[in-house]
Amino acid sequence: MAAHAHAEHVEHHGPPAPHYSSRVTPGILGMFLFIASEIMLFGSFFTAYFFVRVVNGTPWPTPPYHLPVYVAFINTCILVTSSFTMHWALQSIKRGNVWGLRAGLLLTFLMGLTFLITQAIEYSRIGFNTSDGAFATIFFCLTGLHGVHVFVGLSILLFMTIRAFRGHFSAEEHHGVEIGGIYWHFVDVMWIVVYMTVYIL
Amino acid sequence: MRNPLRSEAEAFRFLIAVILGALVIVGAAYVNTWLGVAATVAAIAGISWWLKQEPVPGAADGARDPHDPPH
Repeated sequence: MAAHAHAEHVEHHGPPAPHYSSRVTPGILGMFLFIASEIMLFGSFFTAYFFVRVVNGTPWPTPPYHLPVYVAFINTCILVTSSFTMHWALQSIKRGNVWGLRAGLLLTFLMGLTFLITQAIEYSRIGFNTSDGAFATIFFCLTGLHGVHVFVGLSILLFMTIRAFRGHFSAEEHHGVEIGGIYWHFVDVMWIVVYMTVYIL
Repeated sequence: MRNPLRSEAEAFRFLIAVILGALVIVGAAYVNTWLGVAATVAAIAGISWWLKQEPVPGAADGARDPHDPPH
């Protein structure tokens, strides 16, 4: 028994245990693969956008429709700020600041929710729908796909926020926040690309 | 090489890099369309170069799950 107890304190040497990577934890690997698949999905939608706008030469936006560039810019600022609060939340918990984590996650969730509601309101006021030509279809497909990803991100954020308020995270154990943070930054990066290609360029 | 999906810190740095690249592209495209195309190529090249750098010490270490087996 003493030998067994001694063995438990011995550092592990050699290759990692089966089914585990020596470079990345399973949770982060799973999120990495999920995001990689979503990038491919966005890629297919951007390819359709390319064919509609560049190859087919569709005017963008197609007259007489207009895009709410300014409102979308405000929305972009909100989403980018939410990434900063997400980063702040994670940096807080790494220093053991639980209330910083809670405040950061709550702010991130509220800003993400504001983004989604604003987008929904713009959809109702934009003046065209998916049956109004290829321009309208691509617009709703790209922004709608991103909106779905924001909704998924909000669901993840909600779970993280609830767990944060229940005291599940600490400076030593905050893996769930790390993984959710990676996804939220991915959502923000995709919005930058969508906003630039659909609204600005 | 930096992997922007390996940790939240790396993902955040990648977001900042993308925002800066987007500002450059939009600014250039506002001046001239072909300048915008050139800026896009330059931005992609710049971000690719940035990704090939070594990560900031500690930034690539996503929070280790304490329930994972030892390496």
